[in-house]
Parts: sequence; structure tokens; C-alpha cells
Amino acid sequence: MERTPGGYFGKALIVDLDRGAARTKPIPESVLRSFIGGAGLGAWLMHELCPPRVDPLDASAPLMFVFSPLVGTPLTTSAKFAVVGKSPLTGRLTDALASSHFAIAGKLTGHDAIVVRGSCLRPSVLMIDGSSVSVAPAEEEWGLPAAEAERRLRERTGPAWRVAAIGPAGERLVRYATISHDRRHAGRGGLGAVMGSKLCKAILVRGREKVPPADRAAVLAAAKELRSRSFGPATAKYRELGTMANLLAFNAISTLPTRNFSAAAFEHAPALAAERIAELRQLARNSCASCTIGCEHLYRGPGGGKARMEYENVFALGPLCGVGDPDAVIAASSRCDELGLDTISTGGTIAWAMECAEAGLLDAQWLRFGDGDALLRAIEQIGAREGIGGLLAEGSRLASRRIGQGSDAFAAQVKGLELPGYEPRTLQSMALGLAVNARGADHNRSGAYEADLSGRHDRLRGGEPHVVAAIDSEDRAAVMDSLILCKFLRGVFTDPFSEWASLLNAVTGWDVDDRELARTARRIVIAKRLFNLREGWTRAEDWLPQRFLSESLELESGRTATLSADRLRAMIDAYYRNRGLEVSGLPAVGTLHELDLDRLIHN
Amino acid sequence: MGSAKAALEWHGSTLLRRVAGIIGRSVDGPVIVVRAPGQELPELDHTVEVVQDAREGRGPLQGLAAGLAAVGERAPVAYVSSTDVPFLHPAFIRRVLGLLTDDVDLVLPEVGGYPQPLAAAYRTCLHRVVEELVAAGRLRPAFLFDRCRVLRVGERELLDDPRLARVDPQLSSVMNLNERPDYERARAMPPPAVTVERFGTLAARSGVRLQTVHACTVGAAAETVGVTLDEHVVAALNGDQISRDPELPLAGGDTLALLAADAGG
Repeated sequence: MERTPGGYFGKALIVDLDRGAARTKPIPESVLRSFIGGAGLGAWLMHELCPPRVDPLDASAPLMFVFSPLVGTPLTTSAKFAVVGKSPLTGRLTDALASSHFAIAGKLTGHDAIVVRGSCLRPSVLMIDGSSVSVAPAEEEWGLPAAEAERRLRERTGPAWRVAAIGPAGERLVRYATISHDRRHAGRGGLGAVMGSKLCKAILVRGREKVPPADRAAVLAAAKELRSRSFGPATAKYRELGTMANLLAFNAISTLPTRNFSAAAFEHAPALAAERIAELRQLARNSCASCTIGCEHLYRGPGGGKARMEYENVFALGPLCGVGDPDAVIAASSRCDELGLDTISTGGTIAWAMECAEAGLLDAQWLRFGDGDALLRAIEQIGAREGIGGLLAEGSRLASRRIGQGSDAFAAQVKGLELPGYEPRTLQSMALGLAVNARGADHNRSGAYEADLSGRHDRLRGGEPHVVAAIDSEDRAAVMDSLILCKFLRGVFTDPFSEWASLLNAVTGWDVDDRELARTARRIVIAKRLFNLREGWTRAEDWLPQRFLSESLELESGRTATLSADRLRAMIDAYYRNRGLEVSGLPAVGTLHELDLDRLIHN
Repeated sequence: MGSAKAALEWHGSTLLRRVAGIIGRSVDGPVIVVRAPGQELPELDHTVEVVQDAREGRGPLQGLAAGLAAVGERAPVAYVSSTDVPFLHPAFIRRVLGLLTDDVDLVLPEVGGYPQPLAAAYRTCLHRVVEELVAAGRLRPAFLFDRCRVLRVGERELLDDPRLARVDPQLSSVMNLNERPDYERARAMPPPAVTVERFGTLAARSGVRLQTVHACTVGAAAETVGVTLDEHVVAALNGDQISRDPELPLAGGDTLALLAADAGG
């Protein structure tokens, strides 16, 4: 009998909502060691359990909550889980990472992953208490903001239960709806809509099991050391100002996407700057469960409430839509939270719509760049799927296909996922990372902007060094997203693969080294690509919208930031070569064999 | 001068490093330094390429031939400079390069009534013509001017560029150092005035965002405002070039942004 390594239970819980029943699926140690947990294990489980070419909103499409061996240990930032499924926005694999007590309680139900399939007959909540599952009515909670639903459910069930819930946007199948827990969101890719399609308002978990690490003393020592490093200069930005500190800095270096990526600097950026808003409105700083960094900065909203503000929601609802009024941006962000909307896709889709309206392609004269009231009105309509919201709830890619008239040229998305706040023309390693990522335009699965902002190469002239940087960043993200550790911790590691291997070995009892972990990283990246391939991916999806390839940006220095189709194509070709992919983007047979994917993945 | 000009100290750096760095900031292609046979050079940025004159003592055309040939097909046009121009400004380089049109082989500034062949833009294919001239012992730059299409540009036309007019109205870019007193006078002048802007935690801690300082290098500017250029900090020059190089030279009118290196969001 295979041994279960420390930190794991060696099984997944497969819940069938139709029958309110569940079974367990053993996960072999070889799989756990090959994919670790979180995003990696999620990719393997999707290969195993997701029917090919299924509609993401079909009852048979699985929704997975995948934990990791580090969850439940005292390692800082380890209380994380991955929500994995097929995205209704992209039709491709998506994995949204999130941090909260749900990760710990969910894992301590006794499973390394919880997979939900089928659909409820009416609005319901799923309750998982160890291996026992039940489905209870949720008509009273249906229609509530996720945080309110969570509060009421916990009041009813008790504090030992943890809740992941959807808001009205998920109920109405908005394609970029989120799943919320502890007021944090598994945000990107629309898995809230998947949950909504199952008429599942919330998943409640209560953990009773224990899962000791292999070497408790080593884990405790590592936790103490990591905690100490987490207070150092590498995390200062997150503690002191949060990610909003990016806004003014990016503005200064022509990297702040503005007015639907038609510019890269915003004249009203100072009004939205963290430095200014913190002075005027900061209320408190919070952290996720098991986190010592504390990147969450709460601000006073216009109505007096509290709002958690981060760079991505400020950029997407501010400069991207041309809105420079902090009241409007904070209100918009709060409303997205209440409705359960991914702020990046919301801002990106509305910005596209604003440009369409101004160009006369969309009949919505009230929708203009810079109009905070229009922004809020659009968000309401999206959440309700009313008025223009019916179109915008589909995301900018599908919406642009319906509108036509060349509007796809400026729908700033890749594979359907709207771009985050990093201008590709002035960060050309990141441009590549956005184009080739399995999830779509995502700044978490690719952190290639780090290389662009390191000074090691010219960020405006993409080439071979940018390709190497993009691959390095993807590999590191693949490991961090599978261990799972917060990426805000990455700067504390001087020899990341070796140090991560040590942490993993302390928990599991394995003897992984840096080379094995590097290979695991490549395996995870290719496994995701294989899934997408199965679902119909072609090379044409690894690309950027026309705006980025035909419009240049002038910098203060007098230089021009241009990303031609030829340059992007050359970088993608080089990426494929370096990744062991064929010119078509398919993994070469040798690559599949080298990474054991031909043995580990059966489809 | 009494000592090799290249190695002359310049506000914590050397003349050669400064000039090579200013040129490197201004062009997209390689930066080539041509040295005399056996000449020792001070330390340079690792990206600078060093080639050697075939023979010593044959004047600037020999060095020009070696330099243009080294650029080769990597760039169609090159800016050529002497070492002893500490006030060379990127705006001057861009202005000169920007004047080279399809019907011109050489843009030759004329400042103070004198042509400036070592502050000029050349088509790199001219290296064949230059090599012929050197082989024939015709070593004066004027011989080259007779063999190619030259655009002579006076001060007024140079200063038609508003940015150059703003940052280098006296065209100090071509001021060179012939004798020791020239060097000492130049060295005694204050370093260029640059604007330093701090962002994020670097501003929040000090309470100061924007300052004008006098500094010749990124490192000197950072030090003046109390910031250490370590792995957690990067500098962005004129909203463009990102650097951690403390010896990257600054020029008058530059803006230097100091940012947290971690851009995760």
C-alpha cells in the first residue's frame, strides 16, 4: 500500500450535487510528488475528472477546491487554496488562488481536494463535514452579497464552519463572477459563474482531521525563519502601502494602462495614488489567515463603509476607464465586491465598452471614459444582467464578437481574460508572458514584469533575454502556486527552488531537490497547456490584440514603445523552442516523456 | 594633458565611463570604444565593446575606421565621439542622429565656427572609404568629407530642437578638454541638476517626493536623497530606462525615479 506523505491525505472528495452524495478518489503519491497541490494538482485533477469539451456552465463541469501540503502548517502565507475549473470566460483551464481560513478548514475535512459536480435542483448550500456531505436550501441567501451570505450562514452553523460563497453576479452567470470567502475573492476566470450554474450559493466546510508534517521540528524552525524574513525589506511595500504603491510608479514609467490601453500614463494618477489616499482615508491594515505580511489596506469609502483597495482594482476601475475620482473608484470596487465580480475583467470590459460607445459602435451615450457615475451604472447593469449589462456580462471577447465592426482590435484580452495592469508595449517580457499563459492574460501565472523592471534588459525591445525571463517567471509561479505560498513572499528567497524544496521535504518527508522542483514546474506548465489543447486550443490563441501590435506609445525620454507582430511572433517561437514545444505550440513527444506526462496523464 | 584622458576622474567615475554611458543611453545599438594598441582603459560597463586601432598615431580616421567596422551590420548609423567631452548630452546625440536622412552619409555639426568630426553621425558603411583613406596615408577628416554626402549643421539648426535648446543651450556637448587647466575648470563646475522623484515606501518614509539635486551618476543622486540602490530599489531614467547601475551617468534635465523593485500587484 502506498504511503501517504506528510501534509497530505492522499485523496480527493468528489461530491455529486444531484444526489447530495460523495465518494473519495485516491491520489497516488507519485501524482502528489509530481504536481504537489494547488494549481499543479488541480491541473492533473482536471485531466482526470473534467469531461472533454464540456461547457463550463454545464452540470457535469467540475469545480475544484484544491489544497496543498503546506496548508495547516505554521508557514506564513500557507493558508491558501486554488479554485480550479474550466473558465466560462475563456473556455480554458483556470485556477484562482485565494487565502483564507477556508483553505485550512477545507483541507482538514480530510481531503487534498474537494471536487463538486452536478447541479442542485434549487438554490442550495453544500455542507461538507469530514467525509459527510449534505445539501441544504439557500433561498433566503440567494441574491445576497457573498459576504452577507457568509455572515448569515456562519451565524446559523457556528464558527467552526468556513464558507465560500458567490454573490448575485455568480447567480446570474456573469462570466467573470468570483467566489468569495473571508471577504477575499478567488477572482479571475469566472468560477463564481460555474458555482452559480450549479445553483450552489455557498460551500461550507468543517474540518476535524489532523495532518501532521513529516518533520515537525524542521517545519517549526522553517516557519520561524520565514516569519522573520517576511518582516524584512522584500515585503515592505506590501506592509506599508500595499500594492496600490504601483500606481504612481507605473505612471512615471509609462506602464499604467489608461483609457483601454490607448495610453500608458494617466493625468489623474496622483489623485488615486496610495500615498495620497492612505493619508486621507486609510482605516486599517489586515492580513489573510496565517499571513505575517499584511498587505490588505482598508480605506474609508464614500458612504462611510470600508473598502479593500489594491493596485489591480484601482487601475481597472480608475485609469483604465479614465476615472480619476477616488470616491468613484472606491465605490466601484466595493460594489464589485458585493456583486462578486472580478474587478480586472469588469474594468477591462467596461473600458472596451466606453471606447465602443465613444466611437458610436455601441448605443450607450451615457457611457464615457472618465465618468464615474457611468462606471457605477455599468457595474450595476452587469451584476443584474440588465440593459447593456447583458452584453458586458459576457466579457469583452464575446461582446466584441457580437458587436463586430472591428471592436475586437481593442478588446484587451488574451484567450478571453482581460489584461491586468501591466502595459505590454513597455514591458515586453510581460507581453510574452500574457500571450502564452494557459489561463489567459494573467499577472500571477506570469510575473515576467519583474524582469522588465530589473534593469537587466531593455523592456522596450523584446528578444531572447525576455523569453528566458518569461519562462523563469512562469516556472517559479507554477511552484509557488502549487506549494502554495503567497507570491508577495518571493523576494525573501535567495535560492528559491532549493529553499522551496527544503520546505516541501520538511512537510512531506520527501527528498526533493531544486532540479526535481524545476522539472515539476515545467511539468505543471505543460500539463495546463495539454488540458487546453484537449479543449480546442490552437496557436492563434497565444497572441495579443491588434491594438498592442499596431499602436505605439511615446515615452518621456523620446523613445517609442512598439511591439510589432514580427517581434511578438519571434518571441513566441523562441518560447516554444525553449519550452520543448513544436512550432505549432504542441508539446513535443520528447517533452511529454521527459516530464513523465505521458505516464501521469491518461487522456 | 599629462595622463590618459580616458582615465581622468569625473565625480566618482571616469571620463571614458561617463561618455560611453551617455552614448549608451542615447542609442539602441552597441557602444564601441576604440583604443590605441596597448592602451590601458579604465573599467567600463560590461556591455561596452572594446576594439583596438590597427596602428597607433594615425589620427582620428584610424579610430573611426576601426569603430565603424566593429559596428558593422548591427547598425546602419553610428554616433562618433571623442573621450574628452564630459558635458555631452543625450539630447545632442539624438539631435545629430535625427538629422541623418536617406540622402546624407555624415551629419557634421559646426560649433564655434569649427567642424566637429568627433561629435558627428556617420553611416557605418563609410568604414570602407575611411580604410582606403588611411591606407593611402590621407589622414585628415576633410578627405573623408570630400568622399561622401555631408550635411553641415550649424548651431542655430542644432538648437532648433526644443529639447536640446532647453537642456544644452550653449552646446557644451562639444566642449572638450585639451589641456590640464581645461579639465580642472570643467571638473570644478557643479554636476548637472537632475530631478529625483521617490515613489511608494521610499517617499512615504522620507516624507519627500520630489527634489532637485546635483549629481553626475544615478548612484550619487540616490545617495544625495538618502536612498541605497540595493536589490529592493530600481531607478528609472526619464520614465524609460530601468537601471540598478550606480555609475549610469546623468545629464542636465534628467528625471530619476526611485522605485521599489518589487512590482507585484
